[in-house]
Amino acid sequence: MDNKKSAALREGVLVFLVLAVLTAIEYVIGVSVGTTWLLLLAVVKAVLVATYYMHIRRVLSSEEGGH
Amino acid sequence: MSAANSLQVNEAMAAVADSRQGTTYGYKLDTNRLGLWLFLVSDSFLFGGLYVTRWYLLGGHRPDLNQMLGLIVTSVLLVSSFFMNRAETSIAHGDRRGMLINTAITLLLGVAFLVGVVGVEWRTAPFGPADGAQGSVFYMLTGMHAFHVFSGVLFLLVILRNGARGLYSADKHWAVEACANYWHFVDVVWIFYYPALYLIGTVVK
Repeated sequence: MDNKKSAALREGVLVFLVLAVLTAIEYVIGVSVGTTWLLLLAVVKAVLVATYYMHIRRVLSSEEGGH
Repeated sequence: MSAANSLQVNEAMAAVADSRQGTTYGYKLDTNRLGLWLFLVSDSFLFGGLYVTRWYLLGGHRPDLNQMLGLIVTSVLLVSSFFMNRAETSIAHGDRRGMLINTAITLLLGVAFLVGVVGVEWRTAPFGPADGAQGSVFYMLTGMHAFHVFSGVLFLLVILRNGARGLYSADKHWAVEACANYWHFVDVVWIFYYPALYLIGTVVK
């Protein structure tokens, strides 16, 4: 149980770090260029949140329960 | 029927009852999840409509806003999502104290976000809601989003109170999961709003 919890918390930290780095990159590009390509970064960030924080696979899975 | 047989029948009936109860909870959980996601999809149409409005009215321009303040409030919301994830993970592994602490931190960060956008950005922006397209776009998009953050804060208060009363466990914590998903959804909306309002395009003259 503790190992599973630690692994889940580690995953949360990792995703947060990636999101933080992407946000920093987004800001640097935004203040210098302001290109609409920034929307691609937004899509990547949204997919990360939906996949790892919102667990979208749980609703797509046919298995009952989950907790 | 002998006593031994009667006992066996009783045990079998109890097993069937347990099985049914488990199936019922699992079924409810699945339909709850589907219902929540349907709600989130329908809500995203509202935010999507406002998003299209921004591009239609402002195009390659953006409102005249403080970009550093935008980065700060975005970071606050991002960190709040991180703690919300920790709260859900904690209760999913039976750690009620961890869930309460992380939920409280999320709640405080949510309030900080509201103060940053509504309390600071709205006051310091060099234009009002009636000052042309940028005013309409900025106050409508941030206002609708802030309203959702506010309702998320209320949701957080509910699970904080119920969590303190011991109503959630590792096996049953749907309300925490729903609150976490709603909170992350609000974060996803801001992920798209932030570059559209603060970063992309040149400032409206």
